[in-house]
Amino acid sequence: MSIKNILIIGIQGALAKITAELLIKTHPNIHILGVDSRGIENFSNHPQITFQQMKYNRTNFEKLFREHHFDSVLHLGRLGHSPAMGNIHKRIDINLVGTNTILELAQKFSTKKVVILSTHHVYGALADNPMFLKEDAPLRASFKHAELRDVVEMDQMCTNWMWKNQNQIETVVLRPANIIGPQIKNAITQYLKTPYAPIPIDYNPMFQFIHEFDMATIIVKAFDSLKTGIYNVCSDDIVSLHEAAEIIDVKKIKVPIIAVEQLARFLTPVWKFPLYLIDYIKYPSTLDNSELKKNIGPDVFRFTAKEALELLKLN
Amino acid sequence: MDIFKETYLKLEKTLELRYKKNRDPWGLDPARAVKDFKILYPFYKYYFDVKFHGKEQIEDKAYMVVSNHTGQIPIDAMLIWTAFAAELEHPIILRPLVERFLTSLPFLGRWSSEGGAVLGDRTNCLNLLKRGESILIFPEGVKGIAKESKDHYKLQRFTKGFLRMALAARGEILPIAVVGAEEFYPFVFHLRKIANFLKLPALPLSLNLFPLPSPVDIYIGTPYSLPSELSSEALDEELEPHLIALEREVNRLIQEGLAKKRTIKDRLN
Repeated sequence: MSIKNILIIGIQGALAKITAELLIKTHPNIHILGVDSRGIENFSNHPQITFQQMKYNRTNFEKLFREHHFDSVLHLGRLGHSPAMGNIHKRIDINLVGTNTILELAQKFSTKKVVILSTHHVYGALADNPMFLKEDAPLRASFKHAELRDVVEMDQMCTNWMWKNQNQIETVVLRPANIIGPQIKNAITQYLKTPYAPIPIDYNPMFQFIHEFDMATIIVKAFDSLKTGIYNVCSDDIVSLHEAAEIIDVKKIKVPIIAVEQLARFLTPVWKFPLYLIDYIKYPSTLDNSELKKNIGPDVFRFTAKEALELLKLN
Repeated sequence: MDIFKETYLKLEKTLELRYKKNRDPWGLDPARAVKDFKILYPFYKYYFDVKFHGKEQIEDKAYMVVSNHTGQIPIDAMLIWTAFAAELEHPIILRPLVERFLTSLPFLGRWSSEGGAVLGDRTNCLNLLKRGESILIFPEGVKGIAKESKDHYKLQRFTKGFLRMALAARGEILPIAVVGAEEFYPFVFHLRKIANFLKLPALPLSLNLFPLPSPVDIYIGTPYSLPSELSSEALDEELEPHLIALEREVNRLIQEGLAKKRTIKDRLN
């Protein structure tokens, strides 16, 4: 479909910025309204993009939808789970109440397409996870970590809504593997780049990495060619945690996982490592990408996992 | 050791050809697998004195290898892995499907997956077969490792899951039998209550920490192909004759092995 007027929620995030620039390049007639609750910085002025800092509440979003009649919405405004991301009430407010409001308004104001960025974390990292989890695998992230409940609930809310309204709005829910890149500041990127961060000597799970540019390309393709549905996003190649750390070439301290857990708890004020992530450096949570490849072809990824890690190292 | 140089080189070549020095998605690390093999092979050859019977029936292709289980600790699985990697003209890298509790263990879980073991799950099994990997299955399940001395060679009923996987991936089944592994750790008592408390699948008690040098014989049966018209969603009743045929074949191999069984005592004499 041709996008003319798009709302990007969470524009201050690195991925949103890269996606916005890519959308402008690939869709010359597009107009983007980027909103964020944070201050908007470091973005080149472009006539096709307008920014607005606002509080995420119903009144503000309703005003936006009423005034702009967006044909597409890109929801990248999910709050992550690092201790720096605020308390659980704030997260529930933004991730659940906020998302629900956006979906309701998209329907009310006849938006044609909604793309939502979820995460592979919803599947959970458990010892009995098979490799290559398909989109219909149970979402077990909150079994062990109650703090991931809102991430799972947000994903489920979006997918329920997606099937319920599939005749009116095309909705795409993306569940990407670990997104890394020089501009991304998510927990796994920070962990890999942190010198002397502890790494488990007794576990070495397999990881899938997507370069930030590839992820932005997939989001643009989601608008252009993906039909309503849930899609795991990852390339074919896969590396182990220890291999990834070796490629990044940042000195790590090898300790048993029990020590990683204790250090993460003890150092919480200075080392912003979310406790739930310990499971993800212990057990695999890898995705099957056949659904994505079937719909947008096999050659979408420009960087392999190893190349994405090399680029992160250069940075 | 120089005397095994040729065997090591053959395995290295096979691993390189198949995995191109990269880890596979399930974590098999070719370099690590070779290192482990170099440690294990002298034990295989001299300590356990393994004899591999009927290897001429094995072709250079992927199999779903189905075996009995007699040892409490899956040393028999390691010996089968070594036999397929060392004794064939075209080595086969077996991927043993392991219990869930093993993958959760520190060090052991990592070590086993880097050596080729994979969590015994249907999705994994199917994906491995589709990629042309050969897998090693103990279809007796947990019951196979918690046998009392009198039942060591009493085959437990096979579970049907592996047959459905073989049907879905159209894989050929290779029945085999291991004889001699029960003497590694003479069974004393099964600590069922402690096993339940620790959430372990089984906790058979033995008096020795290091396995005894029991000679092991591995017997290869006739490859078994499932009929092409049988679907992976076939009724249990339709699978039953094939399950019985495979159990019979493994049992036949066990009986053949027991008739010629070598013991620790024979070796000492």
